[in-house]
Amino acid sequence: MKLTKNLARIAPLIVAATLTTTACDASGTDSTSSSQGGTVVKIALWNYKTTPEFKALIEGFEAENPGIDVQPVDILADNYPEKVTTMLAGGDTTDVLTMKNVTDYARYATRDQLLPLTDEAAGLDKASYSGLDDYDLDGKYYALPYRSDFWVLFYNKDMVGKEDLSELTWDDYAKLAKKFTKGSGSDKVYGTYLHTWRSVVQAISSAQTGGDQLGGDYAFFKDQYEMALGLQKAKATLPFATASSNQITYDSQLTTGKAAMVPMGSWWAAALLAEKAQGKNDINWGMAPMPQAQNDGKNVTFGSPTAFAVNKKARNADAAKKFVTWASGPKGAAAVAKIGVTPAYTSDKILDTFFSVDGMPADALSRRTMQPTTVQLEMPVSDKTSDIDQILKEEHEMIMSGEKSVDEGVKEMDKRVKDEVQ
Amino acid sequence: MSTTVLRKDSTAPTDPAPAGPPAEPRARGGAGAAVGQIALYVLLAVVALAVLLPFIWMLISSVKDDRDVFTVPIQWIPEEFKWENFTTIWTRVPFAAYLGNSFLLSIVITFLQVLTGSFAAYGFAKMRFPGRDLLFTGYIATIAVPWQAYMVPQYVIMQKFGLVNSYTSLILLQAFGAFGVFLMRQFYLTIPDEISEAARLDGLTEYGIWARIVLPLSKPALASLALLTFVNTWNDYMGPFIYLTDNRLWTVQLGLRAFIGQYDAESAMIMTGSVLSLAPVLAVFLLGQRYFVRGIATTGVKG
Amino acid sequence: MSAVAPPVTEQPSGGASAAHQAAQKRRRRRNLLVGWSFILPNFVGFAALTLVPVIGALAISFTDWDSYSTPKWAGLDNFQRLWNDSNFWAALQNTLYYAAGHIPLTLVVSLGLAVLLNQKLRGVHVLRTAFFFPYITSLVAVAVVWNMLLSPESGPVNQFLTFLGIDDPPGWTSSQDWAMPALIITSVWRDMGYYMVLFLAGLQTVPAELYEAARMDGAGAWQRFWHVTLPGLRPTTFFVTVMITVSSFKVFDLVQVMTEGGPGRSTLVLSQLIFREGITQGRFGYASAVSLMLFLICLVITVIQFRMQRRSER
Repeated sequence: MKLTKNLARIAPLIVAATLTTTACDASGTDSTSSSQGGTVVKIALWNYKTTPEFKALIEGFEAENPGIDVQPVDILADNYPEKVTTMLAGGDTTDVLTMKNVTDYARYATRDQLLPLTDEAAGLDKASYSGLDDYDLDGKYYALPYRSDFWVLFYNKDMVGKEDLSELTWDDYAKLAKKFTKGSGSDKVYGTYLHTWRSVVQAISSAQTGGDQLGGDYAFFKDQYEMALGLQKAKATLPFATASSNQITYDSQLTTGKAAMVPMGSWWAAALLAEKAQGKNDINWGMAPMPQAQNDGKNVTFGSPTAFAVNKKARNADAAKKFVTWASGPKGAAAVAKIGVTPAYTSDKILDTFFSVDGMPADALSRRTMQPTTVQLEMPVSDKTSDIDQILKEEHEMIMSGEKSVDEGVKEMDKRVKDEVQ
Repeated sequence: MSTTVLRKDSTAPTDPAPAGPPAEPRARGGAGAAVGQIALYVLLAVVALAVLLPFIWMLISSVKDDRDVFTVPIQWIPEEFKWENFTTIWTRVPFAAYLGNSFLLSIVITFLQVLTGSFAAYGFAKMRFPGRDLLFTGYIATIAVPWQAYMVPQYVIMQKFGLVNSYTSLILLQAFGAFGVFLMRQFYLTIPDEISEAARLDGLTEYGIWARIVLPLSKPALASLALLTFVNTWNDYMGPFIYLTDNRLWTVQLGLRAFIGQYDAESAMIMTGSVLSLAPVLAVFLLGQRYFVRGIATTGVKG
Repeated sequence: MSAVAPPVTEQPSGGASAAHQAAQKRRRRRNLLVGWSFILPNFVGFAALTLVPVIGALAISFTDWDSYSTPKWAGLDNFQRLWNDSNFWAALQNTLYYAAGHIPLTLVVSLGLAVLLNQKLRGVHVLRTAFFFPYITSLVAVAVVWNMLLSPESGPVNQFLTFLGIDDPPGWTSSQDWAMPALIITSVWRDMGYYMVLFLAGLQTVPAELYEAARMDGAGAWQRFWHVTLPGLRPTTFFVTVMITVSSFKVFDLVQVMTEGGPGRSTLVLSQLIFREGITQGRFGYASAVSLMLFLICLVITVIQFRMQRRSER
């Protein structure tokens, strides 16, 4: 019994070591004040090291509020909402919670897990905010946004050449995509890349046609689907089935020169800059407004804000509120714009800061792109959102992989939303 | 036919070479047998290679650029080998510390699981007392409930005990599962009762029978239990994710997921880390394999 | 020998004396104490952190708990909802489909592998290790490579099928009808090494003398397998069958990584539904009701397996 004997010899030591470690931890994590005697605010966020906006906000805030020590509680981005839900179920006291999307926010707020921030919201200059209204639940606010991403058309300047992308309709876009498509086999270059998410087709068509994604009548998706499937049929984009089964990343499509135009959220800008700084890509990219359904000179797109909320069980609620308000205000906006992230609060000054980031394409078109006429929330908030979202996603897969025709798919969406969502 | 009856005459040691690989002795002699042998080898080698294909992909991806990992068509030979992935990973994240944490947790959990599991299994397999079968059914029944269902209630209890964000929570959670009890019980059933009866007549207590007779006879089962528990603990992601918040406590699987961002992932780094994290598992497997040798027939009664 | 029947038999003899009965009583009490003392170290941890939460989770299925507020009694509401939920029926059907494919195939393949690799072959250690690799290879790598192998247009599997003269080879993971078979194939491939380890351990308990005796009687390899190996392996086979059954019904990770339940909901399985309804949406009452169903199905199947095992031992 060598195996067990060896184990028997070392295991007690290990057990003892573990218990000591854990004992130390328990004593180390339970304080509300820092070693310097200041107030500690704990903030649940994701991937602290690789998401520089959090560091920018925390350091900016601490510099102005020396009495408050903001400590990150680092959670993996991958399963962030699940962990926060579980933590809160157990009565966790982390002060500030980052709201990854509005749907999750609504869930926490209606479960009464967040402190109201209505008074703080009342003091904000609403006209300068993008995405603030999305947090309005019957006149009450439980979170304030600090960043607000919206969708634009990223493109490879070398591949697009002299073509004018400033006022594209979807028809123009499709024509260009076919035009840019060249080569075959492993040299094949696609005119565009449509990522596998349903929003790529559905949210944009809702924003531009006024169709309601919770409405139960999805005929308004049809034009956009015809366009997307047309591109796929013309082999001007990587087919949906291939992209999803090979787990293709949209980033590689643009940065390896596989696709000339990629519709994507503005968050990508900061990532592209960071890659360039590390020498991981040398792509010459720019941003153009999303192509439009109507040619009326407007720039209508969709987006999703990210916000901070205060835990109802926060230990230091006042300091936490202070942080949340600061982060969503002009100073917080300046801090995140400085690293190429689009803040929820905007002004000319903030835009200047954003475009002065090293490597950011500062041409007139890119600048115009960052001032959209309307940004509609990616998916409206209601207690039915998640269920409908799931149905729309499933039918999107069926249509895009060619398992159902557009008409069948849309009919199925109508039917399932009526039947299944009570 | 009953195995017990057959086993009676099997307790006498007849195999003179207990150290050699275990075996159903193969058919002897003949050119046909040799050809068959070669065919079997070729077949097994081909299948083994096919079986390793995803692992090979992992190896190749681990020396690529992030953006070259997921491509259409699959790129089997990288344009450029980024060997530095294997050096940068140690500084990009505290990978060595994560390895250490995983190792500590896996060893402790495996040890406790094997110890308490094989101990409890004796009660279920070799003792008779009222309520035994009911209790055993309780054990088995919990296996049939998916963790997704009780994850949150479990967390709430753990939070009440104040054990969240510590290794104690994970150890308590994973070391006392039903898997080991069930596995060991099934194995003990194959040990003839005549052996323990004889030991009882010799004056051994039940604990003595467990420690000196049953345990030594179940090396293969102990080895496979230890191996599988180690692998499962090592590869567990959801448990450590939910219970360990403090970065200092993180395990390898958490460290690897840290390369997945909100919108993008450093796929090559993930593969590099996955390759590195296989080494201890492999070591444990090779170690455990040595115990897949015949227990009963060669050991006989020594107590 | 039976799995559940007691090895320590206590035959009540016809006209037992009072002293004999007292002795028997004492022995029984002693057995109870000793028996419990074996189980207790494991049971304490098991009861507090697995049994109680599991019972709690199942009890929640009669409430409307949202993970935070005080749960309110909801009677059979969740079950009524379940009855009318097309997602539940789709997931149930898919899970049964998966189990029907995964259980027998994994059982046969892993047993076959174990028997093959239990021989005196040169390099058998290397081969055993190779076959265990799928279980420890990163799931993402498994998903990508299998999706490549099964790619509808360019995958080697379909090229082979076309070569065999099949004109319209399956679309595998991008097709509603073939996504589940693709998942089953991949999962059998992944799990075979895991169960092979258990069978390998079990094979060591089959006495070599029995093979000798069988050979003397003129039994061929196949007959030896049927009449010596299989009966000798019975407790192991029972254990492995129960574990494969339960893990098939609880399948989660592989589906999540390979198809995410799609296309559409053609590979949506029960644990995904439980995860989505419970942890994502916060409808823990409903998620628990689905878990209870899953639990009952597993329980019924396991009980049947127990019965069959007991009968075959008689």
